Amino acid sequence: MIEATRRTGTILTAGFATLALSGCITSRVEDAREGMTGIEDDEAVVILAKSYHLGNETEDKYISCVEDALSRGSKGLRVIPHRQFVDSLFPWFEPRTAPAETRGLPKLMERPGVAERIADQKVRYIIWLDGDTDRVAGGGSLSCAVGPGGGGCFGFAWWQNDADYNAAVWDLKGLESAGSVTADVSGTSFLPALVIPIPLIARARASACKGLADQLRDFIIDEPEV
Amino acid sequence: MRDKLAGYSELGAKLRSLTGGALFSVLLAGCGSNVTLEPVTIPAPLISPMPLSIAVRIPAEFEHYVHEDEVLGREKWRIDLGGSNAALFSQLFEYMFDDVTVLGPDDDARDLSIDALIEPSIDAFEFSVPSQSKTESYAVWIRYRLKIYDNAGDVYANWPLSAYGKSEQFGLGGDEPLKRAAILAMRDAAALMIMNLDKSTAISALKDRPPKTLVASGNSAGAAAQEEAAQAEKSPLPKRREVTLPPPGPVAGPAVLSMDADEDDSMEKFLEGSSND
Repeated sequence: MIEATRRTGTILTAGFATLALSGCITSRVEDAREGMTGIEDDEAVVILAKSYHLGNETEDKYISCVEDALSRGSKGLRVIPHRQFVDSLFPWFEPRTAPAETRGLPKLMERPGVAERIADQKVRYIIWLDGDTDRVAGGGSLSCAVGPGGGGCFGFAWWQNDADYNAAVWDLKGLESAGSVTADVSGTSFLPALVIPIPLIARARASACKGLADQLRDFIIDEPEV
Repeated sequence: MRDKLAGYSELGAKLRSLTGGALFSVLLAGCGSNVTLEPVTIPAPLISPMPLSIAVRIPAEFEHYVHEDEVLGREKWRIDLGGSNAALFSQLFEYMFDDVTVLGPDDDARDLSIDALIEPSIDAFEFSVPSQSKTESYAVWIRYRLKIYDNAGDVYANWPLSAYGKSEQFGLGGDEPLKRAAILAMRDAAALMIMNLDKSTAISALKDRPPKTLVASGNSAGAAAQEEAAQAEKSPLPKRREVTLPPPGPVAGPAVLSMDADEDDSMEKFLEGSSND
């Protein structure tokens, strides 16, 4: 009993410390529904980045993060890894050839083997990610020195990262757009130093990943309120 | 004792020399990079092969293509594409055509009954690294050229195509991001060839050509000399027209080089909507 109480105390302390040591984050996640959604237990989704040929900069790391977040938990969806999906349909989902709009889907499905390969993997939705994380501002100054008696840092630095992502959801059953989910997250990190630097990091990309994945899961599973 | 001291002195000198050598190597390594690509494999494409019998001649300079460059006058890069291009094109043509023969250095195309001979080459190779582009991405542009000869040995089509690949450095160490960008550029070239080879070169029309006794030797030097005359004589192909490449840069769009006047339409479609059209 005492052991369990001590463990809970340690976890709470670690949680408070983590909260206290993180920067400021403001987050806005919204969805825009264009059609009815829903997914069967054996159906899957695939998450792809919009083509870099069109100037998109979505990071591979972000796609993997959303894939992980969507597939986790009791309401987790079956997610086909994006590289496996792209390879299985080569060359029709390469950056140059992937359809940019849903109106390209009927023609794509007519190509030899494409509809069968998608049906084999039971892919119901394709989610196209667009956007990236950028450092938009920063400032302050920090200097460190080391001498025979020891060392230390003094000063204050800060920086702001904006993570703006959009997920367009295509329903492959009706070959139409089901809607989109957007996540706009702004995170300001601080690094004050009085002998020892104390980093207060705001993880904007990770927050945008979790927020977008949670909203996407609800968007796909839940029926809209009538 | 003196001998012992001399021994220590010699050992010290050796250690200093070794340390100096190691430091020098580290400094040298910091000034440049050596990248060697392993042979690339592509997934089996979802296409129906063209009913053509072709031969592929891989020139030596294509099979052992090496690009050397100096970035911002400081970092020296040596990129050895090695056998990756030859592997890619051989695999791709195997998927694209019913019957494919890859010619060895001593093979003569005249001994074969083929509809066409394809000879790929590289016109240009460019790349950018984060220190140049001020982004976190590595990018590679490769400009290939496909020469297609008919069964008489005449140049039938000459198609330049430009491919682009981009990779970020997150999660990849050393020269891996550049290798990945190069592989993506090769996949891009493969996708472009699958989509547009017949549209841009009309190679499928060679199937119905009656066989001629004089078959291509594959000697590109001889064939190239007759290229202009051959092109003028052959009317089935539209006039060749080259489009200027956009300047290198991570945000530059795809460069589509085309022989076909209608290709401008497909480029517009690509940019505004589905590129599957």
